[in-house]
Amino acid sequence: MIPVTIDGQRLEVEPGTTILAAAKQAGIAIPTLCDSPLVSASGMCRVCSVEVTDGRPGRVVTACNYPLHEPTVVATRSERALRTRRGVVELMLARWPNVPVVLELARDLGLSEARFTHPKRNLNSKACILCGLCVRLCDEGVWHHVLAFEGRGDDRRVVMPFGTQNATCVGCMACANICPTGAITFSGDPNDPVDAARIRRAGSELTREVVLLDRQQCHMREVGTAHLVEVMNDYDLLPVHNYRFGAHADTHKIASDKFKKVFTQGVADGCSLGCDMGCAKAVEGHVLRTGPDKGKKVLVDGPEYETAAGCGSNIGVFEPWVIVELNYYCDHYGVDTISYGTLTAFVMECFEAGVLDLERTGGLDLRFGSFDGALELLHQMARGEGFGLIAGQGVRRMKGIFAERFGADPAYLQDIGMEAKGLEYSEYVTKESLAQQGGYGIALKGAQHDEAWLIFMDMVNKQIPTFEDKAEALHYFPMWRTWFGLNGLCKLLWNDVEPEDNGTSGAPAKVPAHVRGYCEFVAGMTGREVTPDDLIVQSERVYNFQRVFNLKAGFGRRAHDVIPYRSQGPVTAEEYVSRQERYDKQLKEEIGLDPTAMTLDERRAALRKYREDRYQSLLDAVYKRRGWTSDGIPTLAKVRSLGLDKVEGLVELLAAHGVTE
Amino acid sequence: MSRLTLESLERAPSPAVAAPGAQVLVCSATECVSVRARAVREALETEIRKRGLGDRVEIVATGCHGLCARGPVCVVQPDGVFYERLTPNEVPHLVESHFVQGRPYADLLYHENGAGGTLACERDIPFFAKQSRLAFRNRGRLDPESLDAAIASGAYQALRGALRAGASGDQLVAQLVRSGLRGRGGGGYPTGLKWQAALEAARARNVRPVVVCNADAGGGVAVMDRIIVESDPHLVIEGLALGALALGAVEGFVYIRLEYALALARLQRAVAQAREAGLLGTGILGTAFDFDLAVHRGAGAFVCGESTALIASLEGRAPEPRATYVHSAVEGYRGLPTVVNNVETWANVPAIVRDGPEAFASIGTGDVSASPWRGNSGTKVFSLLGAVRNTGIVEVPMGTTLRELVFDIGGGMAKGRAFKAAQIGGPSGGVLPASALDLPLDFDTLAEAGSMMGSGGLIVMDDRTCMVEAARYSVDFLAEESCGKCTPCRDGLVALRGVLERITLGEGRESDLALLEDLCDTIGEGSLCGLGETAPNPVRSTLRHFRAEYETHVREHRCPGGVCKALIRYTIEANCTGCTSCAKQCPTGAITGEDKKLHHIQQDLCIKCGSCFDVCHDDAVLIR
Repeated sequence: MIPVTIDGQRLEVEPGTTILAAAKQAGIAIPTLCDSPLVSASGMCRVCSVEVTDGRPGRVVTACNYPLHEPTVVATRSERALRTRRGVVELMLARWPNVPVVLELARDLGLSEARFTHPKRNLNSKACILCGLCVRLCDEGVWHHVLAFEGRGDDRRVVMPFGTQNATCVGCMACANICPTGAITFSGDPNDPVDAARIRRAGSELTREVVLLDRQQCHMREVGTAHLVEVMNDYDLLPVHNYRFGAHADTHKIASDKFKKVFTQGVADGCSLGCDMGCAKAVEGHVLRTGPDKGKKVLVDGPEYETAAGCGSNIGVFEPWVIVELNYYCDHYGVDTISYGTLTAFVMECFEAGVLDLERTGGLDLRFGSFDGALELLHQMARGEGFGLIAGQGVRRMKGIFAERFGADPAYLQDIGMEAKGLEYSEYVTKESLAQQGGYGIALKGAQHDEAWLIFMDMVNKQIPTFEDKAEALHYFPMWRTWFGLNGLCKLLWNDVEPEDNGTSGAPAKVPAHVRGYCEFVAGMTGREVTPDDLIVQSERVYNFQRVFNLKAGFGRRAHDVIPYRSQGPVTAEEYVSRQERYDKQLKEEIGLDPTAMTLDERRAALRKYREDRYQSLLDAVYKRRGWTSDGIPTLAKVRSLGLDKVEGLVELLAAHGVTE
Repeated sequence: MSRLTLESLERAPSPAVAAPGAQVLVCSATECVSVRARAVREALETEIRKRGLGDRVEIVATGCHGLCARGPVCVVQPDGVFYERLTPNEVPHLVESHFVQGRPYADLLYHENGAGGTLACERDIPFFAKQSRLAFRNRGRLDPESLDAAIASGAYQALRGALRAGASGDQLVAQLVRSGLRGRGGGGYPTGLKWQAALEAARARNVRPVVVCNADAGGGVAVMDRIIVESDPHLVIEGLALGALALGAVEGFVYIRLEYALALARLQRAVAQAREAGLLGTGILGTAFDFDLAVHRGAGAFVCGESTALIASLEGRAPEPRATYVHSAVEGYRGLPTVVNNVETWANVPAIVRDGPEAFASIGTGDVSASPWRGNSGTKVFSLLGAVRNTGIVEVPMGTTLRELVFDIGGGMAKGRAFKAAQIGGPSGGVLPASALDLPLDFDTLAEAGSMMGSGGLIVMDDRTCMVEAARYSVDFLAEESCGKCTPCRDGLVALRGVLERITLGEGRESDLALLEDLCDTIGEGSLCGLGETAPNPVRSTLRHFRAEYETHVREHRCPGGVCKALIRYTIEANCTGCTSCAKQCPTGAITGEDKKLHHIQQDLCIKCGSCFDVCHDDAVLIR
């Protein structure tokens, strides 16, 4: 710590703390103009000039960017400091005599008018005062680099370079919102919102949080979702070896710091125009080592968390380059990295269990961690050759094929084949979160977490202990997340960055301040006031229609909401033993059995029965909360309340499935 | 040239071995080229060939000799006879006289103005005799386009010695510290300390520093850096290579102004030569030392004298400085420790390494053993301009007095006028009065006197100079060159210029002097970088030394220097002989009068250009 004296007040600060930050700690206000926590300090305006003495001759420095590295005496209001500050503000006053922020500074310093004239005197009260906040925010915060200074000396002005409307500008308005004078205006919004200012207010709050808080929260701007690799590992949620385990000693090799090094930093990602979060990351200059493009230098879009886990830990691969290479070829071939990762994990487990062998795989070594085999499998899938022809059909069909052709036990394959409704699981271990098991099992499109991600609420924070609590979460969150889909919005800005005070908001998992922001967005866009509940009803209408659609397609009943036991508990003895303490405790405390008096097989059987029963009870609770029958079909009353009964043939369809009230 | 090694370079011809026969060293630097030096050289070549003298007379196109006022110039070796103001027409006479008849051609010998005699030899001419040679040691001796010539003059021997001895970074840096070399670009920062900071930062972070040569210096005054590059590019390259060796840098840049066409071309040629000869690139001189140099062309912004602005430009951004609370030696080009020194500083490095720091420290003044900040070692190259006879590029030991520069080397005041002031350090240098003539010119004395070394521009002003106008002129330049990033420099200089303007227009107020001082304080104390911090110097120093002149402008609406047009009037006095010269010269026909009779200036037509004043032989034109 560095001892510092500011205006006679002594304090200790971290090395490198700026004078401005130190003064704030001491409760001493220093006027600023071009400073904002959203952007780097530049020392442009010089309003925060103070006097320092640090062993060298005393001198005037700017508080905003002067780092304290040695004992320093600072005088914020010495005659010399004030003289400089006054001089600077007098210059501004001469040039911009009607701009409120300048007038305010002048008044505080006892200046009424300048003693000289400025040849570029501008009487506009909304004149640009060249503080550069907009330029820096567009550069550092928004990453669009649309604004710049042009000209030198007093010809300096803020422009889009070369005086042209830069097509990269997406009208995010971050610049206009940070401008202290209102000099930046916006024209011609093609979306023609009813109340653009209202949308911008909500948007600029989000910009502030992203630029300011992300670096303390999820680091989405630096590593995107890849930051989850180590988080999931820490909570035993990272799928390892086909979801058998939730953590691995080698996870650090594919942790986000490894990807941060290869991700291009500080550029807008082009994923969604004007998005300040820019979490879609890319690896530039990856030289491919396999496949048809071998030797070529390519840009790889990703990897995201799901790819890192699916093409990494879940198949026993802890080599970042393999993950990047699989990412590239999956994209190149049009294969989903999650489905590829999960089906390969299934294949590998079957290989190690003896269901498959080198002969059956056509010579591919598909043990966990065999990345040569994994890469070649992907190339074969794309070419429609060899074992790739079988694997490419996905887990559900492979289960049938393996039983039929190779004589494998169908029940075992059902237990370890991680799919629901034919879709491969995404990359979370759900064994200890019943609510998330439901999240995967009931999801309309199959085992995907985009309807609900409840593991932390359920397992870590224990906020939803009862079936009813879980059912409420499995009602609210799927409906809320569906709302993003309805509006073509990304969900990441909802809860991958949160306001500082979200923890005390009463319902932190819902991020209430952001939900209100979306209401503002809808109201600003359409001119219709909406409440958070209104948004949920919008979703419910669509969601229930989709469930009925599933029903028509042969997927909409309780029987279709089944999930493999691997997602509920330990399938094998090895899995049980690896977390024995946890499972024994549950037998003892929740089921009332004495594990020490039981064989391992007995324990597994008892635990399985308990967990499977609880899953069924969860389905009952969720169906009830959603207004569905115990078979998982929307009731007539529900359908009517949402106005869906007007859809032609819908009531008849329900009746055909025995739902008449 | 084939690749050199430590051994083959050691065997290279030593500087002591002179070429047989006579050499005509014709200046081919920009200044002389601009007055047809190339045509003179071609005429010499033709004439020598024509007379069959080709086998005993060699014509060498050299770098700058320094005496630009008398260009084109040449020196004939081995005797050292100096010829000035050459023209192609005079060449046959010169060749006839010097090489055929064997006596110096008197018409083009150095004319000591007013002294009545002529001096034949370079060593007898005070301009040359009183100078030292260090940074500019090959002045007028070397074909700057030939690596062979450079090597024959001893180039790269310091580098060879350091590589042969296996000198460590710490040893080389310690040598620099002990030498007392301080940055010749303006600030006077001890070069060794800068290197040390970079070395330490690089070690702490396990990165390689970058070395940069600032060859952008300008401001219309300080041309010495360009001249050194034009005249001896290999000296600069060797300096950078030694810096890289000391710091462990593999990457270096020369940042050079695009408009310095000749310097740029010669530098690029020299870098290519050095690369081909194994003096740059991988495995330099057959050792494990790797270092390469890129030539980066700058668009010409005065603010690039600020290392952080220069680095921004190198990085491809607009040249705007940043706060130097963290020095670029610690965090510079792409965040790497970066040593930026100017041309003259780098040019001093080989001599320090070759001859040892003590030899360097023995030149000049100050006591570097007390502190690196106390040394004023070595020489300083000045760009001597203005109202002296011998304008040009001069190199003198630190601590030489202004009087010696102006009256001995500079040959005294031009047109026999009186010395009034000298502005040292370029446009942001302070102006010193006649009472400062005996001050030793070194970093610290100049700073105390309210001026600065700057990069060594030195403008001499005579008694027909208005100090308010001189200050206005400098401030105007600086206001134009301000990058505009920070308020005090951007708007302060404009305000300062406005107040100075109104004083020169006779519209000044009594309160303006205090206002000027306030503005100077705001700009000097409040600005972000050195450009703004030093920008008030011309105003502050003239207020300090010539305050009465300001007061006369403000109170009496009179310009004592006779320069401010709004405050002066040209008149013709009774001693007019009616020669009509002035009337013929007057561009607006404002002068009337018959032949042999008193002339008269019609004030309403007069634009106060001063042509009549300049042309009058009888001092009959007066400025009131």
